[in-house]
Amino acid sequence: MRFLRTTALSLLVVLLVSACGKPQPAASDAGGKLTIGVAFETLQTEYWVAGFEAIRHELEARGYTMLEAVADGDANRQLEQVKNFITRKVDGIILVPKDGQTCLPMIKAANAAHIPIVLFNRPAEKSEARSVAVVADNFALTRETVAYLVGEARKTGGKHEAMILIGDLGDINAVGRRDGFQAAIEGNEPVVEVVARVPTEWSQEKAQAGVVNALQAHPGISFIFTSSDFLLPSIVSALKSTGKYHKIGEPGHVLLAGFDGDATAYAMLKDGYLDATGVQDVYFESRQAVQAIVDLRAGKSPPELILDPGFVITQANLAEKTPRMWGARVGKK
Amino acid sequence: MADPSHIASRPAPGLIASNLRRMALSEHLVLWLCLVYFAVMAPFVPGFASPENLVNLFVALLPLFLVALGQTFVLITGGIDLSVTSIIALTSVVGAGVMNGHTGWLAGHPLAGLAAVLVMIALGAGIGALNGLAVTGLRMPAFIVTLTGMMFFSGLAVWFTQSKNIGNLPASFNRLGGNPWLAGAIAGIVGIFAHRMLTRSLFGRWLFATGHNARAAFISGVPVRGTTVVAYVVSGFCAALAAVLYTGQAETGSPVLGQRLLLDVIGAVVLGGTSLFGGRGRVLWTLCGVLFFKLVDNSLNLLNLSIFTITMVKGGVILFAALLDAARHRLTGRNA
Repeated sequence: MRFLRTTALSLLVVLLVSACGKPQPAASDAGGKLTIGVAFETLQTEYWVAGFEAIRHELEARGYTMLEAVADGDANRQLEQVKNFITRKVDGIILVPKDGQTCLPMIKAANAAHIPIVLFNRPAEKSEARSVAVVADNFALTRETVAYLVGEARKTGGKHEAMILIGDLGDINAVGRRDGFQAAIEGNEPVVEVVARVPTEWSQEKAQAGVVNALQAHPGISFIFTSSDFLLPSIVSALKSTGKYHKIGEPGHVLLAGFDGDATAYAMLKDGYLDATGVQDVYFESRQAVQAIVDLRAGKSPPELILDPGFVITQANLAEKTPRMWGARVGKK
Repeated sequence: MADPSHIASRPAPGLIASNLRRMALSEHLVLWLCLVYFAVMAPFVPGFASPENLVNLFVALLPLFLVALGQTFVLITGGIDLSVTSIIALTSVVGAGVMNGHTGWLAGHPLAGLAAVLVMIALGAGIGALNGLAVTGLRMPAFIVTLTGMMFFSGLAVWFTQSKNIGNLPASFNRLGGNPWLAGAIAGIVGIFAHRMLTRSLFGRWLFATGHNARAAFISGVPVRGTTVVAYVVSGFCAALAAVLYTGQAETGSPVLGQRLLLDVIGAVVLGGTSLFGGRGRVLWTLCGVLFFKLVDNSLNLLNLSIFTITMVKGGVILFAALLDAARHRLTGRNA
């Protein structure tokens, strides 16, 4: 009984405090300075950190305020965070969802509150929920990157055994990169034969184990593509342990390409170990994401899908493209 | 010479210690902590006390409360259930596999949502029974049984879906998680039933007796093995029910649903006052522990703190809970 009394008293106090609380003002002030909620699923890789910082920089440059939230890989937690943004009456939300499916309730919640929402780098599944997505053209950029690597393979003569490290197939970006790889290989089977497809689920540990197993099962592998540069350390470690880590031009060099353009990739390009990588233009994407919020608030209708064409950086164009490579900037810090 | 009036104005050291002990042992400690925290933070955290935020907080609290409730039963027996997160993931994808509109076994059937909920609950309770039987029948430590269970069932969930999420769930099912009234009713009914089970039933007394001293309880005629198995079944049942709410909220069956919840669950239960050493626990304490945990999480989010700070603070709260539990255990040991 005492507990119930205490509980009732406690609830009364809570309600009183709530009732006495000032009504939450709209986040933006009269001067048109917007407050944007930025919710990232994770900051586990350099790419996401670079994206987060690029958005922060873009918002600061425009004089906007950024509210931040990172869900640490938990979609339900991210939904809570988006609702928190809505509670705080932000002027727009930039979201990196865990995947295209679990973000749908978040988009619906933002739609219901009439808050523009832009998905950064991962689009939502098709639904009635309205959002704008800014994403790299994963398919085309991967196809271009792998086509370059196939060209290098052709120059060496002979037939190469190939391995691809596939990302989490719940992530539409991983699917696009896998399909882009496949499209580049098709028709080039006399030069490249895919003997290993390693599912990594975007996990460094799974990638490491998968690459080691594949190299044991197929010691002749001489062509590797990773769906993300953040998995390069796993590949390097496995290649070193099997005595196959050599510079471009040295005998036994394994042709190697990746996707993202992170600091590790930049260092490996500079040191002559990596042949090419498809670079997502994180600065273009962050600019477009913020601009889309501004456009949506102004009643304009930006396209539902804004594609970042990205670019392929290779040994041949390294000096020219380095200033645009986000990994090079991160690596210099 | 000391000034006697000065000495008289200081509380006696014994009095302070006794007050501290009373506070640490108080059933209402966490409830008061919640209140003080809320009252102190409300003026500083934007939107913290707004009705919209309180509704959000309430909806987010319910599934965690359900998982924590099941964990409370297991902790009272002196065990631990580390497999709850994998039960959430597996039941989520199996339920979604039953009812989703694309490839679901009952796709488009008007009772698909209900059937999925029943399958999820049966599966959760079944995994709980397996855990309980392994702990009692094979005399394996609960930690090992449920840890391996966590790995196995998580792997099974990923294998079942090939790492993909399952969407297109019936709207009636999604409402179970997203509608505060429905979700509140589910958690409320289960909470009240569990409370009565612990406080008013013979089974409740058996649970506490098992947790206090399993051997003495067995000699006194308590069916220790059966009681322990039922505690794990309750834990699996509650985890499955939490999966219903989580899946409904995310509108997606996910093989990694709840993957990072374990510390939140155990931290909240222990913070509430349920002992890691067994023999002590209440539903209302668990509710208060979960409430405090979510209040801290929600306020830190609204304060726009980075994930690193939030994680560190939550780690501190769990450490505080463990220290408090150890202190309570020592004090009750002394009092005994």
